[in-house]
Amino acid sequence: MPGKFCVSLTVAKENPDKATVAFVVANAAVASDQTTVVFLSTEGVRLAVRGYADDVAEEGFSPLKDLMANFAAAGGTIYVCSPCFKRRKLDERALVPGAVIVGGAKLVEFMADGCPSVSY
Amino acid sequence: MTMQSECEGTDGQADPIPVADEWNAGDMGCGELVMALRVRMGNLRAGDVIRVTATDPAAPEDLPAWCRLCGHTLAATKHPVYWIRRKGL
Repeated sequence: MPGKFCVSLTVAKENPDKATVAFVVANAAVASDQTTVVFLSTEGVRLAVRGYADDVAEEGFSPLKDLMANFAAAGGTIYVCSPCFKRRKLDERALVPGAVIVGGAKLVEFMADGCPSVSY
Repeated sequence: MTMQSECEGTDGQADPIPVADEWNAGDMGCGELVMALRVRMGNLRAGDVIRVTATDPAAPEDLPAWCRLCGHTLAATKHPVYWIRRKGL
């Protein structure tokens, strides 16, 4: 049953529980043959920078860096809000695998013909 | 290369159908469980059955849903054991 799925994530290390669970759910979606996008916006964009999430490991879950790596290796895509990324002066040359900096149109295109989503 | 077996699994539960592989997922659950299972099933041939032991309390809901989403067949279940047949090509 191929379909699409979007996970919206607006937090990073200030809420490692939410950040971790978002990627656990994203892994469930991509592992279920859904074309899956994690949309990082506002503070969440920090997760797109290589190395940032390396020390996030919530009890009961795999380390966040492993969840993100598994997600990308399985074909998942991470959309990174361009203005959110730029205003934080983050390094666009140091993105994690699977991440791409996008504007709103790219997200709208992905979701416009109908796409379930969950937000964290 | 996979081997067909009608032996008991590691927890002593008899298999109702021949299995090509078995995996004890322990208490792994949610996205981590199905992601690991997806990788594991990628090594099977179409029609092969894997015997999965998953003690996570959500497994009785999640694994049938995952099978429906991916097109695999949940051939038998007796929580915490699930026999899943890989879909055809």
